[in-house]
Amino acid sequence: MDLGLFAQYTMNGLMLGMMYALVAVGFTLFFGVLDVIKFSHGDVLTVGSFTALATFVGLSALGLHSNWLALLAMLVVATLAMAFLGMLIARYLVMPLRSAPPLNTLLITLMLGTVLRECVRLFYPQGANPKPFPALLPRASVDIGEFNLRLDNVLMLSAGVLVIVGLQYLLNRTKLGLAIRAVAQDEETARTMGINFTGIVLITFALGSGLAAFAGVMNGLYYNEINFGIGLYLGVIGFAAAIIGGLGSIYGAILGGFLFAGLQTVGTVLLPFASAYKDVFAFAVVIAIMAWRPTGLIREKISERV
Amino acid sequence: MTALLEMDGVFTAYDKADVLQGVSLVVEAGRITCLLGSNGSGKSTLVRSILGLTPARAGRIVFNGDDITKLPTHKIIAAGIACIPEGRKVFPKLTVEENLRAGAYQESSDKVTQTRMAEIFETFPRLAERRAQLAGTMSGGEQAMVSIGRGLMCAPKLLLIDEPSLGLSPLFVKENFNIIREINARGITVLLVEQNVHQTLAISHYGFVLSKGRVATSGTPAELADRTEVREAYFG
Repeated sequence: MDLGLFAQYTMNGLMLGMMYALVAVGFTLFFGVLDVIKFSHGDVLTVGSFTALATFVGLSALGLHSNWLALLAMLVVATLAMAFLGMLIARYLVMPLRSAPPLNTLLITLMLGTVLRECVRLFYPQGANPKPFPALLPRASVDIGEFNLRLDNVLMLSAGVLVIVGLQYLLNRTKLGLAIRAVAQDEETARTMGINFTGIVLITFALGSGLAAFAGVMNGLYYNEINFGIGLYLGVIGFAAAIIGGLGSIYGAILGGFLFAGLQTVGTVLLPFASAYKDVFAFAVVIAIMAWRPTGLIREKISERV
Repeated sequence: MTALLEMDGVFTAYDKADVLQGVSLVVEAGRITCLLGSNGSGKSTLVRSILGLTPARAGRIVFNGDDITKLPTHKIIAAGIACIPEGRKVFPKLTVEENLRAGAYQESSDKVTQTRMAEIFETFPRLAERRAQLAGTMSGGEQAMVSIGRGLMCAPKLLLIDEPSLGLSPLFVKENFNIIREINARGITVLLVEQNVHQTLAISHYGFVLSKGRVATSGTPAELADRTEVREAYFG
């Protein structure tokens, strides 16, 4: 393959990987503090991207025409709104089910996901149709051989890297992060250290859901289109990525996200009929990885229980 | 002598079966009070009730003049109680330093936290050498030091120590009792829960014997050593 084309595929793969990683991190955070799978995570992303779109429509109607300001407002509104939604879900759906089998939480959040998705479809104006998402980032690009390097992609990728670095800093270098990790390792002992368990759980759900909203905006900017089903698709991929990485490990989730995007890209390049079979290929490889390493690539939480 | 902790007719249940059946006891300020009793007598449940991990169903627990019976755990800790849990329970994937910092979670001043950590490192030089090591990779004795240090990081008024000798080598058990005496000498009131009768009575000022969820007897170590209830509680 030509080097330029290779660079193009790599860039696309990195963009997808970043979005998957951001979603996967949420799954792994929730599992870390509460040992639950919150299946509505992907649909929170959908609601987040539609919230961003609605914010844009609202601002345009008010006569705001600065792309940067609009984008900033969309990010802030979507992230905060989803953080709040994540907290509500944790407080009123997930935490009350703590004494029930984990399967019940999975089922309830699966149903909640459907409710959120259907609400977007039914209540957002013409929500059943794909909606155009504004291209707010500068569209400049340079051609390096066959490789078309787009500024918007570079900006999104950099923003994603910043978010992940920020998250790492938060988890590993701050008191809040220490509390989140302590709760993830031993809830009861964490409580006897004076850590407010419920508070930490709510903050963690807010954090993960805010990251999903960020990924949702990124997805909209990348494809310039959103629909009510994107979260379901990204949720399944993010969940798979979190599992391959070894549920409970942040690094694993990030690795899993990029790995999945890499597999899709390889599938696109190697298989005939172009990209139609990329998901079949990627998920087939995930199944093979799970057969080979049933607890994921980085063993964090599950291995302790065996 | 003033009472720092008072339990009055405390009933605590798991799934409706009362494990504590009306426990009343007093921990006087500045002393080492021990709680003896065989397995299943309710010692751990008593500790869990004080900490609010399994809140009492009935009765009152008063700490430093305030009713803490129904408070959530983090508020009980904020009131000035710390715990060195049974089985040490260090956070395995936090470093020694992070474990200690977790112990001082409610201390808002980083300077105070640093000072206290320096004191812990002075007491346990071994921890200073290994401050960046993950606690889960350390030996049992070293983990015990982390757990003790972590319990001291919040400068508690009352320290609950649950079965500190469990699973430790005899040499370290002896060391452990010396450390507990030293902690008390610094002015921290200690409630020591132990199975090791002789060494526990040797360092305690007063003791309670728990049997089948009730206080069977209490007294000074000299009094307790002669009581048949003590022998019965363990061997009967």
